[in-house]
Amino acid sequence: MRQWIILFKKEVKESIRNFKWIWIPVVFILLGLTQPVVSYYLPDLLEQFGGLPEGAAAAFPVPTGSQVLAETLGQFSQIGLLVLVLAFMGAVAGERNNGTNIMILVKPVSYASYISAKWAHMVLLALVSFTAGFIFSVYYTFLLIESVPAAHIIQGALVYGLWLTFVVTVVLTLSTIIKSPAAVAFLTFGVTITLSLMSSLLPEIMTWSPGMLSSHSHSFFMNGYGNEGFWLSLMCTILMIAVMLSLAIYVFRKKEMAVHTT
Amino acid sequence: MSLIKTDNLTKTFNGTNAVDGINLNIREGACTALLGPNGAGKTTTLNLLTGLMNPTKGKISFDKRYSGDRRKYLGYLPQYPKFYGWMTGIEYVVYAGELGGLTASEARTRAEELLNLVGLTDAGKKRISGYSGGMKQRLGIAQALVHNPKLIILDEPVSALDPIGRREVLELMKRLKETTSILFSTHVLHDAEQISDDIYIIQDGRVVINGGLEELQKKYQQPTVHIETEENLEEWSMSLESAPWVRHLKAEKQKLTVTAESIEDARNALLTDERLRQLKLNKFEIEKTSLEDLFMEVTK
Amino acid sequence: MDEIVNELQAVPWPVVAPIIIIQFLLMVIALIDCLRRGGETKGPQWVWILVIVFGGIFGPIIYFLFGRRND
Ligand SMILES: Nc1ncnc2c1ncn2[C@@H]1O[C@H](COP(=O)(O)OP(=O)(O)OP(=O)(O)O)[C@@H](O)[C@H]1O
Ligand SMILES: [Mg+2]
Repeated sequence: MRQWIILFKKEVKESIRNFKWIWIPVVFILLGLTQPVVSYYLPDLLEQFGGLPEGAAAAFPVPTGSQVLAETLGQFSQIGLLVLVLAFMGAVAGERNNGTNIMILVKPVSYASYISAKWAHMVLLALVSFTAGFIFSVYYTFLLIESVPAAHIIQGALVYGLWLTFVVTVVLTLSTIIKSPAAVAFLTFGVTITLSLMSSLLPEIMTWSPGMLSSHSHSFFMNGYGNEGFWLSLMCTILMIAVMLSLAIYVFRKKEMAVHTT
Repeated sequence: MSLIKTDNLTKTFNGTNAVDGINLNIREGACTALLGPNGAGKTTTLNLLTGLMNPTKGKISFDKRYSGDRRKYLGYLPQYPKFYGWMTGIEYVVYAGELGGLTASEARTRAEELLNLVGLTDAGKKRISGYSGGMKQRLGIAQALVHNPKLIILDEPVSALDPIGRREVLELMKRLKETTSILFSTHVLHDAEQISDDIYIIQDGRVVINGGLEELQKKYQQPTVHIETEENLEEWSMSLESAPWVRHLKAEKQKLTVTAESIEDARNALLTDERLRQLKLNKFEIEKTSLEDLFMEVTK
Repeated sequence: MDEIVNELQAVPWPVVAPIIIIQFLLMVIALIDCLRRGGETKGPQWVWILVIVFGGIFGPIIYFLFGRRND
């Protein structure tokens, strides 16, 4: 455990030094601030500059609070996830490719700790960024539009946080298996987009899918409870995260660390 | 006393044996050199010993005093050490020490001590990304030593260095030898001769020659006599062939090279030889072949 | 002239200002990072400075993701 903390602290320190701990939260905050403002002023703006025919602006009413929060999550799922995946695509592969992990792994270091410390750090950074951005979004939504029950917000945010954790775990696992960071990012997007699309197109057969979590979180904002099948997809997601993390550790153990000899 | 033994250690890459049935016996307290040209399989052998690679065949056994995770007892400096450039030298050594099982304060003290030893006391506060090759090499040695390993494994510790850096690191290794067992690889015989006790000469993944340095030097230091005369000496040289002290001889017109069993016998016999005198001696030279010649010979 | 003043007054400054400030903050952090690492960027530094300053919200993000050489 002591060693795990040492490895974890190194990850944190590295990301502080290269500003990941500043710029990623700032991007989420920016996204979180912008969405409520855009939602609130969009009808106004359309009216002023849009040159829309009379009455068309009425088709764009100011959305409800929970809608705005859901839209914010939509932003997080696009730009936010893009940023997270690209920032972490080299998590394991990077150190392996440039050989910095060699001198670390010849120390009596547990491979499971090495991988899980990286995972924990990535999850922490993702969740802190998300929370920071979401707090600002909630504040602006309350200020400009209307308040939403705090319990609904917290429940919805937790559910969405699990989806983020899932995606981050996909990145980490692929990064242990695949050498090329670009391929890692590409495949992660492939997986997340497929899951999300399938979940919205075929909700009946995708009830188990982690891709359902965002729509569950929208439902929490609105009603305070998830859609049908919420528990199933929650459990499946947690299970899949556990399986992927174990797989990452297993694969990492099996791999030969020394790749550059001559 | 033996620290590590390998038995028929073999590593195959795509059908070719990079390491081909190597038997090593690394003695505790000794400095052992793996000597061989590029591509001989030195790095692969060391990677197998550290566990960074798995052998295709064969066995590595540590002495039974050193059971459990072998990495506890090993310090390793790769051929091309790669550091986290964003860390400072001291941070890196402290980190390595903590991973090696030291407490934070132990690691700190030990790191300062080691940076001092390798001459990086001041540079230790700077980021590694700004280090020169020689500084990285010395930092690499410091991190290898940090958790007080029984054996440090250094892969070509001086190859990448300029002559000054080379001498510094060799001096450092000489000092380390007093307290730690060392296993290092090199392709320069001279380096091996300077500091090692045991030598393994490796070629194409096999041990060609091995033994203690002095023993090898004795064994392969054959005195050779070069003779040149005015007259053709080929006929005379026939008479030498049966002499008991001659091991090998080659004559060509006015030139003769004799490898002798013993330098004394050779000198006595030749200098008292009346017929040699009549051939009008131009040159008489005694030379001792060194390990160098042998090394050149086997790695040709 | 009056129109511009009117429009400027119409902008809900208390609401928009934080967004502008934070975006500016992001740009400044990216600039500091870029300048501090000297030549250690992928590609010429001055290109990255242009990207950061004129690339809107995405400029700094692209710089952070792709502009830096790993160390
Ligand atoms: N990962 C690998 N895949 C395929 N072949 C390899 C691999 N690593 C090493 N080899 C081959 O194995 C042989 C031995 O390589 P090794 O690096 O052990 O030699 P070396 O003695 O350390 O050489 P050098 O003095 O150049 O460092 C070489 O022919 C090399 O090409
Ligand atoms: Mg080598």
